[in-house]
Amino acid sequence: MIAVDYRSVAVHYPGSGAPALAGVDLPVATGEVLLVTGPSGSGKSTLLRLANGLVPHSSGGRLAGDVVTFDRSIRAHRPRDLADVVGFVHQDPEAQFVVDRVEADVAFVLENLGTDPVVMRRRVEEALDALGVAHLRHRSPTTLSAGERQRCAIAGALAAAPACLVLDEPTSQLDPQGADDVLASVTRLNADLGTTVLLAEHRLERAAPLADRAVVVDAGRVGLPGPPEAVLTTYPGAPEVTHLGALLGWDPPPLTVRQAQAALRRHGRPPGHPPPDAERAPGEMLLGGLGIQVHLGGRVVLRDAALVAHRGEVVVLMGRNGSGKTTLLRILAGLLEPRRGTVDRRGTVAYLPQDPNLLLFAPTVRDELRETLRLLGRDDPAAIDATLERFSLASISHRHPRSLSGGERQRVAIAAVAIGAPDVLLLDEPTRGIDAASRDALEAALSAHLAAGGAAVVATHDVELAARIATRAVVLGDGEVVAAGPARRVLSGSLFAPQVLRVVPPFLTVAEVAVAVAAPDGHAW
Amino acid sequence: MNEAGRLHAATWAWWALAAVVTVQLAPNPTYVAVVVAISVLVVETHAPDGGLARAFPLVLAVAVLFVGVRVVLEGLTTHPATGDVLVRLPAFTLPVILGGFTVGGTVHATVLLRAATDGFLIVGVVAPFAAFNAVVSHHELVRSAPRAFHELGLVLTVALTFVPSTLAAIAAVREADRARTGGRSVRRGRLLRVAVPILESGMERAMHLAESMDARGFGRLGPDAPERAAGWLAFGGLICLAGTFVALVGRARTVATALALTATAAVAAAVAVASRASRRPRHRARRPTRADALAAAFTTVAPVAVAWLAFVGEPTLRWRIGTEPLPGFDPLVVLAFAPLAIPAVGRPRLARASPEAVA
Repeated sequence: MIAVDYRSVAVHYPGSGAPALAGVDLPVATGEVLLVTGPSGSGKSTLLRLANGLVPHSSGGRLAGDVVTFDRSIRAHRPRDLADVVGFVHQDPEAQFVVDRVEADVAFVLENLGTDPVVMRRRVEEALDALGVAHLRHRSPTTLSAGERQRCAIAGALAAAPACLVLDEPTSQLDPQGADDVLASVTRLNADLGTTVLLAEHRLERAAPLADRAVVVDAGRVGLPGPPEAVLTTYPGAPEVTHLGALLGWDPPPLTVRQAQAALRRHGRPPGHPPPDAERAPGEMLLGGLGIQVHLGGRVVLRDAALVAHRGEVVVLMGRNGSGKTTLLRILAGLLEPRRGTVDRRGTVAYLPQDPNLLLFAPTVRDELRETLRLLGRDDPAAIDATLERFSLASISHRHPRSLSGGERQRVAIAAVAIGAPDVLLLDEPTRGIDAASRDALEAALSAHLAAGGAAVVATHDVELAARIATRAVVLGDGEVVAAGPARRVLSGSLFAPQVLRVVPPFLTVAEVAVAVAAPDGHAW
Repeated sequence: MNEAGRLHAATWAWWALAAVVTVQLAPNPTYVAVVVAISVLVVETHAPDGGLARAFPLVLAVAVLFVGVRVVLEGLTTHPATGDVLVRLPAFTLPVILGGFTVGGTVHATVLLRAATDGFLIVGVVAPFAAFNAVVSHHELVRSAPRAFHELGLVLTVALTFVPSTLAAIAAVREADRARTGGRSVRRGRLLRVAVPILESGMERAMHLAESMDARGFGRLGPDAPERAAGWLAFGGLICLAGTFVALVGRARTVATALALTATAAVAAAVAVASRASRRPRHRARRPTRADALAAAFTTVAPVAVAWLAFVGEPTLRWRIGTEPLPGFDPLVVLAFAPLAIPAVGRPRLARASPEAVA
């Protein structure tokens, strides 16, 4: 049986020349997990939002063709008319809480559907249990961590026992443990209740193994759906082990660490060894914080934390949601005064907050970059053009930043901070919700920043990013530094180590393996 | 974590009403200060994390600002024939079309004191309502209201959640603005740089919320025949109310009384019909407990006791400015206010924010 049937669908948004989606014919079977991936702004969210008619009923725009969800056409049914069959979870869960108590918010959909109070009581309990959030029932959503919020949002979508669950990048804001918890919950719903799942994701290392089929959306075109192993092999955003398999000629390329380890046993270990670790970058210190203690809201957020960044190095700051990473960055940026401890800034420092929307107010992307220069008392059109190019923003430089996708906005915000050429860049979750191309652009920009003598401190949950860019890593736990040192040493001891390290230790990245394979005697280093 | 010790929204509404009545009966600044202090205590002990608690000091600050403006305006425009002149300022008289009164001239200490005292009473009235806003679950309040008000109440509740989120956004945007240039603070164009992202983020959030409500079936059931009837009854009631004002202007008292009674009856009937007709079931509507009944009973003691003190002619309830150098004080009156603090005594086990929400 078909759960959601996309029939010759095309969507045009007003004021936009090219269609957001075109020529989509995609039947999604009942009980299937369909993984939707693709570059930022490619039309993934539009595809998902068509499933319950949010496009075009809420977003506006022109719809050609039809989407039939459980025998109901979205042309004749508004999202509220499909609320009993489709549960929708927005990319930003905070934006979807209607009620100020978790339990009441979970019951919201049932009250709207006119569910019998006895049934409603049972369904609410079941939804809270299914996502493991029963202990949070009396909390206000604003007091929850990102992972808790996301699971409560899914519980709210699940309460009506919808036959189809639509999740728009549900793990983009979560630490590895939080992401695992959420995806495990989704897997259980699919396995136990047969819920159809439409899941958009950039972080494929966790999501790909769960999917029955995957599909890549690119520039409004939906590729041929198929098994994730087949569809994602050539996709730039594929898991690191897939790229490793492609490099080493493993056929078929693996999708998971387990498959990669099996392939390694069959094919043998690649020759060579990774470059030696440097204890610290050779340059002088640009930024240092020592013995930092911070109290917020009656709680000790940081205790005796320390972080030093030297010229030419990227320090990656890791740790679970709520471990104090953002607070430490704000202290280093001078936006917050520590209760105890000292911060020594020997160069200029600029900070990129987690939410890029806080920075964006200019009418175009180009103006956004010009504004930073204006604030710094400079006028340099050549620098603007170079930065637009470096962050792959030239083609959208005339667009309003708010009209861009989440990933594109993130890139604009990073470019707006980087164009000021500060000595130290402090980036808070810069790869949150961005695609592989944007991540590559960011990494290239960071390399250029280091080559020019700068330094960077990057707070991230993305261990693969950490493996690629970090010279040193600092791990925070409950406000304390629990590990610090060369990236390879710190990441090696982690339960959430990068994929390549788990398959061919002590290699951290595919690039390191590629160099070693090309020059196995180690002269390349 | 449970909600042990949390009082019902209706109990807090009753408490706020009792506090306001009490302070109106005893507008002496000393006693007004007692009510403000009790309100602060209530917020400290009962406001949950992440609620409107953050808005409480802001609301009080706005009230104090209002008092300041009032003192300045009254000081500059009220000129009694006699009294202690504090300072003489240049004066000018406004044209008759603008009221024809004199601005500036003699500024009297008595006038300033009276304006400040009257203004402080407004702070005393605002404080309990601001505290009520901070401690109560607005959604619970909506659920306690007649069902006819549910949809409207929910929309208002959602609108209220924008207050704390906008306050947080203002701080975050100002910080981001500074962070972008490495801490360099630029004043020119600052208002635009702060206002635009806040307004745009607010609009975006509102759109997302509307989508979320739509996707979760809000408004799906639509009005049925009795609800439509209730709508027409309410409309008729409002027309009658408008007629009442017209009749009052025309000094037709009998007609005005008849129209007012009809309007009241029509609105009451509309509420009753709509509430009975609503097919919208509720999940675990929380009912007031014995603790609520006790808190409400204690709270009621304060206005009753102060009303009795006013009846027997307690002299310190009002400050006679000009005849008394300082406001009076009687411990017995403060004792009469004490029951207002009783709901603040039992500190509930409040759910604490997760570390990340703090960090």
